[in-house]
Amino acid sequence: MSLLKVEALQVAHGPLQALWNVDIDIRAGEKVGLLGANGAGKSTTLGAVVGYYPALAGAVHIAGEDVTRMATPDRLARGVALVPEGRRLFTEMTVRENLEMGAYLREPRRKLAETLEQVFTLFPILKEKAGQAAGALSGGQQQMVAIGRAIMSRPRLLLLDEPFIGVAPIIVGDVMRALGEIAAQGVTIVLVEQNTHRALDFVERAYVIENGRTVLEGSRDDLIGNAAFGSKFLGLD
Amino acid sequence: MPLEIFVQVLLSGVLLGGIYALVAFGLSLVYGVAHILNIAHGTLLAVSGVVASLIYLATGWHPLLIIPLMVAPVFLFGYVFHALLLRPLAHRGKHDETIGTVLITTGALIMLSDLTGFAAGTTQRNIPVGSGVFEFGEVIVPTAQVWILAGILALTIVLQLYLKHAWFGRAVRAVTQDSLGATICGVNGPRARALTFAAGSGLVAVAGVLYAIVYPVDPYMGFSLTVRAFTIIVVGGIGNLPGAMIAGVMLGVAESFTAFLWAPKWAPALSVILLLVILVLFPRGFSSWKRA
Amino acid sequence: MTKPSSIAYALVALLAVALIPLLGGPYLTSFVFALLISFVLAQSWDWVNGQMGYLNLGHYAFYGIGAYAFAILLTRDAGLAVSFAGAVAFATLAALLVSFPLFRLKGDYFAFATLAIVPLCELLANNLDWLTKGSDGITLPPHYVLVPAFYAALGLAALTLLVTLGLMRSRFGYALRAIRNDEQVAEVAGVRLFPVKAAMLAVSAAFAGLAGAIQAWQFSFIDPFTMFNLGVALVPIAGALLGGSGLLMGPLLGVILFASLQQLLLVNITHLQGALLGLVIVLIGRFLPGGLLRWKKIAAHPAFAWLARESHFEREMTAGGPAAGALPISEAVIDPERIVLQCEAATMAFGGNVAVNRVNLTVRQGEIVGLVGPNGSGKTTLFNLISGIYTPKSGRIRIDGRDIAGLRADEIAHLGVGRSYQIPRPFGELTVRENIAIGRTYGRHKTALPDAMEAADSIAAFVGLGDKLETRADHLSLQQKKALELARALASEPKLLLVDEVASGLSTVEINLFVQHIRAIRDRYGITVIWVEHIFSALSQVVDRLVVLESGSVIADAPLAEAVRDENVLRTYLGSAHGDGRTAEARP
Repeated sequence: MSLLKVEALQVAHGPLQALWNVDIDIRAGEKVGLLGANGAGKSTTLGAVVGYYPALAGAVHIAGEDVTRMATPDRLARGVALVPEGRRLFTEMTVRENLEMGAYLREPRRKLAETLEQVFTLFPILKEKAGQAAGALSGGQQQMVAIGRAIMSRPRLLLLDEPFIGVAPIIVGDVMRALGEIAAQGVTIVLVEQNTHRALDFVERAYVIENGRTVLEGSRDDLIGNAAFGSKFLGLD
Repeated sequence: MPLEIFVQVLLSGVLLGGIYALVAFGLSLVYGVAHILNIAHGTLLAVSGVVASLIYLATGWHPLLIIPLMVAPVFLFGYVFHALLLRPLAHRGKHDETIGTVLITTGALIMLSDLTGFAAGTTQRNIPVGSGVFEFGEVIVPTAQVWILAGILALTIVLQLYLKHAWFGRAVRAVTQDSLGATICGVNGPRARALTFAAGSGLVAVAGVLYAIVYPVDPYMGFSLTVRAFTIIVVGGIGNLPGAMIAGVMLGVAESFTAFLWAPKWAPALSVILLLVILVLFPRGFSSWKRA
Repeated sequence: MTKPSSIAYALVALLAVALIPLLGGPYLTSFVFALLISFVLAQSWDWVNGQMGYLNLGHYAFYGIGAYAFAILLTRDAGLAVSFAGAVAFATLAALLVSFPLFRLKGDYFAFATLAIVPLCELLANNLDWLTKGSDGITLPPHYVLVPAFYAALGLAALTLLVTLGLMRSRFGYALRAIRNDEQVAEVAGVRLFPVKAAMLAVSAAFAGLAGAIQAWQFSFIDPFTMFNLGVALVPIAGALLGGSGLLMGPLLGVILFASLQQLLLVNITHLQGALLGLVIVLIGRFLPGGLLRWKKIAAHPAFAWLARESHFEREMTAGGPAAGALPISEAVIDPERIVLQCEAATMAFGGNVAVNRVNLTVRQGEIVGLVGPNGSGKTTLFNLISGIYTPKSGRIRIDGRDIAGLRADEIAHLGVGRSYQIPRPFGELTVRENIAIGRTYGRHKTALPDAMEAADSIAAFVGLGDKLETRADHLSLQQKKALELARALASEPKLLLVDEVASGLSTVEINLFVQHIRAIRDRYGITVIWVEHIFSALSQVVDRLVVLESGSVIADAPLAEAVRDENVLRTYLGSAHGDGRTAEARP
């Protein structure tokens, strides 16, 4: 059964319609990419899944349940977590406080100590910096806090929106490996990423979004073999 | 200036500043979390003070009893006011939202003053609790004032601890620092904003009762307190309660000395001039300068 | 309004009002007098709010200052003319004085700081006894001046309306509206902000001051409470907003409605007038953000539509709009030795985050340079450094040989830097033509507004917006907005054009067209181009050179053919799968 199903989704930001027709179907345990140009509607899609942007039309299902009209906290309680574009940390709170905020909802709050240890195991550097203000960390470490905060809610579906922006190249590998570990523990991952090659290294399958529509879907190998896709996104001529 | 008089003026300034800080707390939280510049904030204090003094006049109850009696309805008033009038503005563009907020809170200021003036008269009132005095040599301080100051300090610490450690307190701070970030943690932003607005109103009711014990209140005095509160949060940092406490005491002491050394009529000018000077020197607020 | 019939209507209306003192009796005369004063206040306030986008809550202070200056001068036998002139002078001076601190603020802060000025003035009026007679107020020599005061107010009101009309059609007025829509973009388009803002506030204060003086003359008594009372300070503002801020007829209509309502309350109700006034203000704030004239039912109603119309530059056009031909830009011969842009170790950091790290970059005239790198690698920050939005932490940037250290964004624009934004930032409330014309009239060569409007048409046609000239920019699609960005930048006749992500979202055909545009811009007009773009197939058609940024540093700077073979470039930007589909190893 699909864990996340988005059907004919339409979303508008004020007078401007950002999504026209997005269809996504993701099964539990998958690693799926959302690819496309800046402004194509990838971030809006993730925002609509967690309910940050209301749907104009279409539907969002999480584990078979229609959540289209549900408020964000209720959707999160069903096991979705978002690592948003630009990290959106609480810069004047400590790293630990940021992580604990990730466990704000009732269920994860009960297992806070346990999950916190898991996050510190995943990103040992965060344990060292636990008492520091999040705003004082480097870009890569802030990204780790953002991912850690999302993990704190013990999600089964993790949505990542361009998690490598502002991350030094030398750290990208660490973050990538951590994501691999998270996936290995059974968390389903949806990755929005500008760097198509980096995305295709990680995911098994991807959707391509253009002008607010899903225009292409395929396995990693399908996409690399697809000529139109290759010339547009991989720099292949 | 003889030392005793210096200390006397200093102490009355500290007390005044403590109450200013308490007024600023509410505005600071409301502005930080809900992004609402509540121009009626000080007027709500004035009205609370007038109502509390009327209750005292009618019943003779101890102010400690009157405070909870005042807080609950004012909290509720704040919640309903926000829900009915301010929350719907969030869908507008930035400029229209600012205009709407300004008109609604200013209109509320005029209404609150006028209705209270109509119902309770425009004369100055207070809560004349009898009080002993502490004597430190030549310096004389009424015991009530010492207790009030101690109460404000205790309230500051409790509030600060609540914001730092309680889940909802943290959620409020999270909304202040990054609203979207808080939302994706499961915080119900609109509810946090409404409750903060209500809590800010409740705080101002406490301040109103305390204020009326020490100084006279009337329905039209509120706006000058709003100006002071705004100056304090600009100096102390938005959402920063200890900063507001320090800034409030500084302003109170400065006003106290201005009144003593020059003339009381000039003391209210201090906050406006201070506000303009600070905004010239630190256009993004004093706290941004401290961090840099 | 320029049609003869409109002018005739306006004159008839003016004449009708002018007859009121002769035919209407003192009650009606003083009511209309109060209305005229209210209108002057509301409209002069709205120049700052509706045109420039700054919410000035302290406008009433200038009214009080004018009244006080007039009364003080008149009681010291300065004569009527001098007293009126003094009122204008003092209000203007006060506005200029406060504009220095105030315009460092924006939004809520600006609004609040201006509001705090009203009680400060009340305090001064109360405390400076020797000058203002304190709370006793000033009583002027008793004369019955209602009729002359009425005509003075009528004249001032007519002048106010004329100034409004002028603002809507002048170069200065477009600067105001550019500021209202997006101040930063206005500056990058060449508008020098502070003088425009200070001048507008000063003119607005001068009108308010004169209104205050006429009011004091008529009433022959003023005191701090009536002049600076917060309860009435917002009434003209509420009136303007009730009608429709920013519209020609908005403040006038709003003031008439509001004053009539007030009069109704005064006559019929003895208590709680203040509370009812407050309620009306609350309701306006809650339900009428754009005023009555922007309320759909009214704006769409045939009887009121003419009142609700926005004022835009319009012109008769041939069907299909102007033909896409040559740009109104002087052609230039490229001197390939000439260095247009030179960055020397330019560095920018936000907190601990180094966004641009010791970037060295030399661009010569006529080059088309592709600037690439992953999101967050510092491309847009570099553009912001070059266009003067940020000042580099260290290092040096020269435009055409001139060090830009210490220059404002508008000065840099006048040196010849034009840019587009990745997320388009057109002036949304203005039409396509007006957007482009602002770029032109405030561009490198100062142009008169009609000429700029003329030029805008052919530039719009060049970028494919020839049929959208009179469409509001916020109604365009994303791609059209991006085209508009390019047009506005081109209109300033830049020497160096910074293009930030145009191709995403375009079809292949559209991309090819855009590439042709970039090539034509360079070949015919000698404009140097730096183009940030993710869609490599677009860049590779036209760029001479590729500069690659990674975490704020330049990791490659080479001719296109070489750059695509560079290992660093392949790994970080294109990925090593380039050409054969192998997977990339992201770690160095």
